[in-house]
Amino acid sequence: MGSIRAKLLPPALAIAFAVLLCAVTLLFSGSSPLEALGAMVGSLGRGTTAVDVVNTATSYYIVALAAALGFQMNLLNIGIEGQYRLAACVAAIVGGAVTLPFGLGVVVTMLAAAATGAAWVGIAALLKVYRGVSEVISTIMLNALSFGVIAYLISSDMFGELRGNNIGTPYLPESNRVPGFSFGSSGTVFGMVLVAAALGVGYWVLMNRTRFGFELRASGKSPTAAAAGGVNAKKMILVTLLISGAVAGLAGLPELLGRDHTFSLNFPAGYGFTGLAVALLGRNNPVGIAFGALLWAFLDKSRLALDNVGVPSEIVTIMQGSIVLSVVVAYELVRRVELRAEQRRVGGQNPPGSGEPRPVSAGGAV
Amino acid sequence: MRRPRGAALAIALTGVLAVVGCAKDGGGTSTSGEGAGGEGAAGCQLADPPPAPDEVEVSTPETADVDGSELRVGLAYDIGGRGDASFNDAAAAGLDRAEEEFGLGDVRELTAEANESEDAKVSRLRQLADEGFSPIIGVGFAYADAFETVAADYPDTDFALVDAAVEDADNITPLLFAEHEGSFLAGVAAAYKSDNCHVGFVGGVETPLIQKFEAGFLEGARAAAPDIQIENTYLTPAGDITGFQDPAKGNEATRAQIDAGADVVYHAAGASGKGVFEAAKAGDALAIGVDSDQYNQETVAESKDVIITSMLKRVDVAVFNYLAAVAEDDLTDFPEVFDLSVDGVDYSTSGGMVDDIADVLDGYKAQIIAGDIEVPSSPTG
Amino acid sequence: MTSPVPEEGTGRDAGVPSDTAAVPAVRLSGITKRFPGVVANADVHLSVRAGEVHALCGENGAGKSTLMKILYGMQQPDEGTIEVEGRAVVFRSPADAIDAGVGMVHQHFMLADNLTVLENVLLGAEKLHGIGRRARAKVAELARRAGLTVDLSLLVEELGVADRQRVEILKVLYRGARIVILDEPTAVLVPQEVDELFATLREMRADGYTFLFISHKLDEVRAIADSVTVIRRGTTVGTADPRTVTSRQLAEMMVGSELPSPETRVSSVTDVEVLRVEGLTLRSEGSERPLLDSIDLTVRAGEIVGIAGVEGNGQVELVEAVMGMRRAHAGTVRLSGVDLTTKGTMARREAGIGYVPEDRTRHGLLLDEPLWSNRILGFQSRRPVSSGAWLSIEGARSDTARIVEQFDVRTPGIDVAAGALSGGNQQKLIVGRELSGDPVLLIASHPTRGVDVGAQAGIWEHIKTARAQGLAVLLVSADLDELIGLSDTIRVIYGGRLVADADPRSVTPEELGAAMTGAADVGSGRGAADQSTPGTDDGEAGQSTRGGDR
Repeated sequence: MGSIRAKLLPPALAIAFAVLLCAVTLLFSGSSPLEALGAMVGSLGRGTTAVDVVNTATSYYIVALAAALGFQMNLLNIGIEGQYRLAACVAAIVGGAVTLPFGLGVVVTMLAAAATGAAWVGIAALLKVYRGVSEVISTIMLNALSFGVIAYLISSDMFGELRGNNIGTPYLPESNRVPGFSFGSSGTVFGMVLVAAALGVGYWVLMNRTRFGFELRASGKSPTAAAAGGVNAKKMILVTLLISGAVAGLAGLPELLGRDHTFSLNFPAGYGFTGLAVALLGRNNPVGIAFGALLWAFLDKSRLALDNVGVPSEIVTIMQGSIVLSVVVAYELVRRVELRAEQRRVGGQNPPGSGEPRPVSAGGAV
Repeated sequence: MRRPRGAALAIALTGVLAVVGCAKDGGGTSTSGEGAGGEGAAGCQLADPPPAPDEVEVSTPETADVDGSELRVGLAYDIGGRGDASFNDAAAAGLDRAEEEFGLGDVRELTAEANESEDAKVSRLRQLADEGFSPIIGVGFAYADAFETVAADYPDTDFALVDAAVEDADNITPLLFAEHEGSFLAGVAAAYKSDNCHVGFVGGVETPLIQKFEAGFLEGARAAAPDIQIENTYLTPAGDITGFQDPAKGNEATRAQIDAGADVVYHAAGASGKGVFEAAKAGDALAIGVDSDQYNQETVAESKDVIITSMLKRVDVAVFNYLAAVAEDDLTDFPEVFDLSVDGVDYSTSGGMVDDIADVLDGYKAQIIAGDIEVPSSPTG
Repeated sequence: MTSPVPEEGTGRDAGVPSDTAAVPAVRLSGITKRFPGVVANADVHLSVRAGEVHALCGENGAGKSTLMKILYGMQQPDEGTIEVEGRAVVFRSPADAIDAGVGMVHQHFMLADNLTVLENVLLGAEKLHGIGRRARAKVAELARRAGLTVDLSLLVEELGVADRQRVEILKVLYRGARIVILDEPTAVLVPQEVDELFATLREMRADGYTFLFISHKLDEVRAIADSVTVIRRGTTVGTADPRTVTSRQLAEMMVGSELPSPETRVSSVTDVEVLRVEGLTLRSEGSERPLLDSIDLTVRAGEIVGIAGVEGNGQVELVEAVMGMRRAHAGTVRLSGVDLTTKGTMARREAGIGYVPEDRTRHGLLLDEPLWSNRILGFQSRRPVSSGAWLSIEGARSDTARIVEQFDVRTPGIDVAAGALSGGNQQKLIVGRELSGDPVLLIASHPTRGVDVGAQAGIWEHIKTARAQGLAVLLVSADLDELIGLSDTIRVIYGGRLVADADPRSVTPEELGAAMTGAADVGSGRGAADQSTPGTDDGEAGQSTRGGDR
């Protein structure tokens, strides 16, 4: 629902507010906000920063889609963190071991990642459906557990190999890597960016054009109405979490298949939590999430530029936090204004008295 | 800085010491007051210690006439950066000392973010290289791949990397340490100071690097006391860096080890070590610090009286020596590994609690340097 | 038209307003209150004499509640003046109103369950007489004088609805109110309780209290009020003397048009069993007391079976068990001979059950979603809104347009969020949706609750039409007029059991009310016998046609 204005205004307000807040913070800490902003924006034109932003946003986009799937029905899949890392680890092991022609190795690797993500969240899903365990609690636990499992898998006794002080899975064979789009000295955009875009389209179609998506959204907007409408809550929880986990499982692949080619101790962490924030920022909308992911990645990459000019890069964390908070507030405000406006519009069609829906316990009316 | 080592002991004495050790073994169980290094409180059946060595010559670069004003130094820290009271700080100390002793043209320090991905590291290094910084020093093995990538693009820039070596890259100087050798001495000290003949190791994160500490410690303790019992705990598995930042976990793990009977605990757990010391103090046990001389460290000053020694990993020395060598444009004699022989690793004596066994420790040290003892770099058994 | 009339006639007994020329207790002049897009009150004039019961009538959403909130200081008028006992006042908050002697008993009680009656009365008014013996004596005195018999030391959670209402009234009196606003006080009461309330009001009126009585139950108004002011579309239409005006005239003042009636005239009941429920039992978790106890129920094609009962006696559970939203512990549910007992809600809907839920905002609609999206809810597996795993947006849109047209849903378009519609239009949308796809059974829970008169008439009409075409309807309602008017058969539920049957052609609301409280056995001895009661249950009191007058 809602107009373009309702969609774009809140994030714009939120970003403006966050920038303002950070400017004030910077002034207080004795740095020049303009210089900081200049350094951040300027860094985009330097070196590989712009490409890095896109590449990182690719991963953020995928985790955020996974988070949004859960959000749509009020499931908080906090475990995306563990799912994507474990999935990337398993994918690295599988991808490092198989060699198949025609890029089939890549397909197998991706399937392995998705299956691992789904299986890992599946534990939480089963616990929730059959034992009523909150998925928030169980996925947090599974995150902790995933560290142990990963450490075990990449130990040199299992599938890992020691490289100096680092340890990691064997490098993927050339055939299992995903080539990127090279921009010369500006870097190489991951080929997985196409997969991310396809996931975004798939997400939109699933949500808006399929019965499953409708039932999912209905469950999120009103579990009671969904139940009355014949939606099987348990099945929805199970399937939604499994899909969320499968998508999450793919989030580590852009870097794994496109650049690192190994799962080592250096494999980035924390994307899962970023994904929750980006999904919030993008309002569970695939286009909104894309912008959110790019913005988030840009802010992340601008830390270096700020560090370079002597501005504490923690300011980026402040900005990210305040954007998320204010975007939530802004959406709610705009939503209310819009609803009010719509009610006015509807009210205009009808005599005034009937414009105000109000549940009344009625008795024998007239 | 270095205190003179005691005079040499005759080989003949070793037998006597062994006898004394055995004798003490019988009545040593109830001894206490080990804090001040109470004479012969050891509860272990100790192996024969090696002979105390002659004064060991250590070469420190002569820097009086070094001029570093041409150098523009870029320093890329690992997570935590300057002020982490750990190895980043040690690198910073080396930089500061170089600045002080022979002056540096320009310095740029950049810090890694937690959980960052590879491109962030690469960008950081590129940025430094682009702006003409050379040498560029990276702190931590996490930079290894990024160095490999960037160094190839900037063949005229000097790079140095703490804790990792990159094969086939002429312009990358590895600053590697023999943590296992230093830890060996910590193991010996622990065995000698243990009443229960029961010691413990607390590792932060179970990575190959920390396993070097563990390996050396185990080896040293067993070398000194073959029957010794050793507790062994890692706070988090590989990949979960919180093990280096969680004093509460360190405290808990240490308490468990003390409950199991350990009374000397060695940690290689970064900031979590604070918890290790606190638990040791509360549990009437002793502890051994790591990386820097923790007896003198502000953050753990409250529990300093249980810190009998620290395994020194002299990142500062390595950084300083490297800068001096680059300033003189002579890396030919630069050590491949900072080990005991070049004071790259060592044990500290602040607090005087290992003074009584200094000869033993120095004896083992000499044997390691001489190659008589080979310390494994990964845990066995 | 029948309606719960608590007392025969309209006798004005004691406390006839003494001096009509005296200063009015309350006078509202030219009150106007605007909300965004809606004028809730426009130029309202109201004059209430001291010591009278003044009724304020109007259909839902006419602006009664807003007006009373203004008088009680909860909202400030944009224009107009308020006078209390001759003095112009400005209320910024309810506290100001209380200081001026105006109190309000809300429709939804605001009591702390875990405190005693006395504590609830004193809560927030400790300054008046403390919380000790003196306060207790004062409350007891007030209760005695007002005839509000309730044990002060009981916990509120142990009280029934009527007693809770008494506590609310006591609270108001204790704070010194002489002018009491009662917001739909009878909505939650059964007829017998209404009688008791009215007795209390009469006693208090004799003591000099003034009441503003909000209601849309006209017979009640005529039974208790000394004067009645009708409000329509936010403004006062006029004041009438209830002694001379008929309910019908009042109602026409309220809606400004000819009145609808729920009555079903010609019986269309067939022999074809559509819904057959046998031995349906549902136990609450952790309690042995069943929520539903061996319910046997049959609904035939063309028949409307009404379920009467005081809320909380198992109606919700019965409906949800039949819909498959709750799994019954025992018993079977068959639809047109097909056993649906183990089927889920979706399968039951697909088998031809339509469902108008009790709470449309919680169970019937996705408020944020547009109308066409709401059309899909409950039908997501069927044409025209979906085909296979895919939604058919076009089908949903065009069929929504049909419903809007056919069921007179007043909306600027089908892209409007459902939450923006008024209650009546939301309900018309739901009824329209649930009658789509040729259902064989419609379960309608309070289908006209909280909707305006116009929508109510429309909904009744649609249900009747569908019934005439052979639809079986299970109707649950608290509106006895609706039940009696629409149903072919009425069954009374009490304590999770169907305890009595009644023939809507002969039963009166009072008889039905008595049966609903479980006090009397039966509503009707006159006509229910000809309804062959399906199945037999445990044979306890109340089954079938146990007769007798009260």
